[in-house]
Amino acid sequence: VYSRRKFLECGVTAAAATIASSAIGSVTPRPLLAQLGGKPEPVPPIQDPRLQKLVQRAIEAATAAGATYADVRLVHTRVRLITVNASNFEWMTVGVRALVNGFWGFAASPVWSFEEMARLGTAAVAQARAAAMDKTRPMTLAPLPQVANGHWDMPIEIDPFTVPVDEVVDYKSSIQLYAAKLAAARGYRFSAQNAQCMFVAQEKAFGSSEGSYCTQRLYRSSGGYSWELGNGTDTVPLGAMDYLSIAGVGWELYRGQPLRDYTDLVIEEGIEDLSLPKKPVEVGRYETVWDASSVAHLASATLGLATEADRVFGYEANATGTSYITDPLQMLGSYPIGSQLLNVTANRTEPGGVMTVKWDDEGVAPEEFTLVKNGVLTDLSTTRESAGWLSDYYKKAGVSPNSHGCALGAQDIVGRGMNLPLSSTPNLKIMPGSAEQNFDSSVAGMSKGLAFRRIKFDMDFQQSNGLGVPERVYEVRNGKRVATIQGAGILFRSTDLWKSLIALGGTSAARRFGMFEMKGQPPQWPYHSVTAVPAVFKDITVVDASRKA
Amino acid sequence: MMHTKEGSMEKRSMAQSPQRSPLASIAKSDVPQRGDEKSDDRFISRATFASIVHQLIQRVQMPGQLDVTISSWWNGEVRWARNSVVSSSDRRDIQVGVMRRVNGFFGQAITNQIDESSLEALMQEAEYAASLRAGVSYPEFHAPYVALPTPSPKIWSDATVVASSEDRNKLAHVLSNGAEQKGMISAGYLETRGSSYMRFIINDDFIARLKSQPVEKALAEIEKAIPYHAYTQAHCSMTVRHPKGTGSGWAGLSGFDWSQIDAGALAEQALDKCLKSIDPVRIEPGRYTVILEPQAVSDLLDGLMYPKTSTEPLSRIDTERGQGPFVDSYDSALGLIRTRLGLRVMDDRITISHDPMDPQLGIIPEPGLAPVTLIENGVLKTLWYERDYAVVDLYESNPALRRVAYRMSGGTATIPEMISTTKRGLLVTRFWNLRVMDISSLLMTGVTRDGLWLIENGKITRAVKNMRVTESPLFVLNNVEQLGTPVPVFRPAANPFESQLTPAIVPPIKANDFSFTSTIDAI
Repeated sequence: VYSRRKFLECGVTAAAATIASSAIGSVTPRPLLAQLGGKPEPVPPIQDPRLQKLVQRAIEAATAAGATYADVRLVHTRVRLITVNASNFEWMTVGVRALVNGFWGFAASPVWSFEEMARLGTAAVAQARAAAMDKTRPMTLAPLPQVANGHWDMPIEIDPFTVPVDEVVDYKSSIQLYAAKLAAARGYRFSAQNAQCMFVAQEKAFGSSEGSYCTQRLYRSSGGYSWELGNGTDTVPLGAMDYLSIAGVGWELYRGQPLRDYTDLVIEEGIEDLSLPKKPVEVGRYETVWDASSVAHLASATLGLATEADRVFGYEANATGTSYITDPLQMLGSYPIGSQLLNVTANRTEPGGVMTVKWDDEGVAPEEFTLVKNGVLTDLSTTRESAGWLSDYYKKAGVSPNSHGCALGAQDIVGRGMNLPLSSTPNLKIMPGSAEQNFDSSVAGMSKGLAFRRIKFDMDFQQSNGLGVPERVYEVRNGKRVATIQGAGILFRSTDLWKSLIALGGTSAARRFGMFEMKGQPPQWPYHSVTAVPAVFKDITVVDASRKA
Repeated sequence: MMHTKEGSMEKRSMAQSPQRSPLASIAKSDVPQRGDEKSDDRFISRATFASIVHQLIQRVQMPGQLDVTISSWWNGEVRWARNSVVSSSDRRDIQVGVMRRVNGFFGQAITNQIDESSLEALMQEAEYAASLRAGVSYPEFHAPYVALPTPSPKIWSDATVVASSEDRNKLAHVLSNGAEQKGMISAGYLETRGSSYMRFIINDDFIARLKSQPVEKALAEIEKAIPYHAYTQAHCSMTVRHPKGTGSGWAGLSGFDWSQIDAGALAEQALDKCLKSIDPVRIEPGRYTVILEPQAVSDLLDGLMYPKTSTEPLSRIDTERGQGPFVDSYDSALGLIRTRLGLRVMDDRITISHDPMDPQLGIIPEPGLAPVTLIENGVLKTLWYERDYAVVDLYESNPALRRVAYRMSGGTATIPEMISTTKRGLLVTRFWNLRVMDISSLLMTGVTRDGLWLIENGKITRAVKNMRVTESPLFVLNNVEQLGTPVPVFRPAANPFESQLTPAIVPPIKANDFSFTSTIDAI
């Protein structure tokens, strides 16, 4: 009755020709089992109405056991990871969350059966009761329009799991081969270390005791290379092909992008680096041009993580830390977090965003919101629980007290596991500047300074101070990159840095990058996308990053 | 105890009747019976492991090595913040991994479903992936395959698995009360874990023999042949902060035995550190004599033992490729890179070793895992290598397997003695976000966190603002002044699936000329 999903769809290829033919083309559909009617059967598509009954069973068990609120997530995850080897991972998980006296109880397992749903519903309540110990914790869940029966497919062009693995391997190898040939043709040494592609397809069902039930099919795809280019004497890293950083897209991450053109750019950048004279870093203060990657990673570290409501309010104090936003109710709406040029919005709706969903892990349909307006901190990323902590501010500001839909029970780094939802950084967007500037034109407009590509940030546990180490640092004189600077790093205080922003690149220079953070105990690895433009910052403190005191 | 029994007393019904879902074993939630292998149904039994391996073997179609890893785990967790428990959880999961090695190429597939048809698909996927020849080819073993013995350490504590959610939550309430009574704010995490694990590497002969046997006999043979490790883990950590964010203290400890973790003492320590850390003053960055508490030593030694870089400092292959801190020189006559094996690389009071049979250092046993001494009296004795390297390059059968658990030797000095003999220096609680910047010197950067104090003329005089550090563990281990008694520290596994457990036993260290590069605001 159910169309069997093809987990590996493969044609006969030269690569596989030596293998016993019985194994080719007959790779089975993946019969993970759900026990929906006493008899195990292949897992149906997530929209199957019987899965709603499964969810309902857990909710009933939790409410019968005394939960004032309960929600259930069924998550079915497929991962295809291609490194030097090809790997396929597949998981089914279920998590039930129950509220008793304001305390959360959570129970999770890999079994999708009615019996197990009943057990988990009861177990989650038992956990919540144990946590409550007859006390009451003040807790309000922000109001939520219920979705009685919704389904959403993330709009991707090509489902990566319909692409033969051979094709993926071919793409992955041919880009590398192209880069190697290009380098050789120009007379340079090329070496490749690591390369990988990862595709994740995730089907999720969410139901709550308030009456929501919605299902989604989400995707994320990523890839990356680690290359080096050398001449007779030197070797330089060729950076990640960050055009392949994680995004909420399908196989079009590879097939829909001009990867050869990008490879040309990467090689050109390496050749330029090798041909420029090298200079040691001179410690000092500089005017600097940053590429979009550097700005995106800065925004994630200093604006994304720092504005997660649970961090701000101390719920992460024993894990990844708190935030420099120490008094949120006073600071929201007035705290100057950066230059007036800085405007940052947050969303879980943009096409291609890795945090994009229709509904979050609490059934909230997230709407775009403004984190920073004209340099002033205006909001935090929230869940239904943490939105309530800000209700005084929202009332005063006259804005909706609803959750921003940032709840995510993220998984481990390759997509395994079932965790309690926490507040995660949504997709961020830095609003571009009005002039059509990009990295090269900003460099061209600079008489004296430095230019950075791909800065990585080492932050503290309040996201307040950091060390940035760029992959490339150029000395700029009269609009030209005249030398590379070796070993430079930038030392900064987050809010001072954003205040020294003097120009932002234009719309056409905007690019999106995917990145992950770690949070929680037990740890989870949520991803988010940041869309940023190149920028110019003045008075940047440049140090020798690897120099000891 | 489960791991000391050879063979099995388990019910065979699960393996024998395919009608019964093997998942039933974790679908129930009976109260566990004190570490009894037969009855704790929160993680899967030896008989189920055998049944899974048997089903996988039946599905093998291609020749070549079959590497099966099966694990299952249960976690009991409590999280608190702002002096109140926030959430309490019970989570369980399974992982079955198949790695096929066909003509030297690997293919891997992993799932958490253990029904027959999922296992069939799992094997086909792994074989298909191997058939793609996607990666680099490794030479097949030319030496006859010898099954290496797997050690059976007893990393098990009944106290850990019988601790109920009520026990954990009551404790969390008590721990945060102490801070609350002093007007401070506490956040923390408790976790108890029970798990079962096996890794079994099977060659063609074994597969062929078992395939031809009747189910009964094959199952009996597999059950006898596979290793079965049940182990427990417990973690407790907490942070106590001043309500205005002007002070912060931390304490934490991991171990296999919940009853050996004195949570009350940790709570006192975190509170004490918080109260003593309030309103820190800024001091000039620079070189300081440091007294590193054991947690800080272990954080710093991650650069050597657990660096999360693509090059491993203690990997023999990486070193012989000319990468990492233990490259000595290039020998142009022989055309190879000499390593620093046999040379002195740190202070001669330091020995770093690991014994897989030591429960305090318990890690998940792999075939061929044997005791190892990495550093002996300051001399580099061993660099890790895998079985392939042992067989192909060294003509040996036994590898020196990588592990991140270790014991570091110590001395007799106490922290108060170290303080009393320090004219000017800093006492460090722990580090945060330490990252290796340069693999050849192991230079790391990161920040101090949750307690940093200035020592002047033998006494702690004031709390100091946190600083960024830029330092190498090798430099520190070459500038040691005093060593204290080694103790276990807080070393949580990175995630519940990571089979790698990371216990470490390290001493406090007093070392000279430690490099602090800038002051930070974070408290």
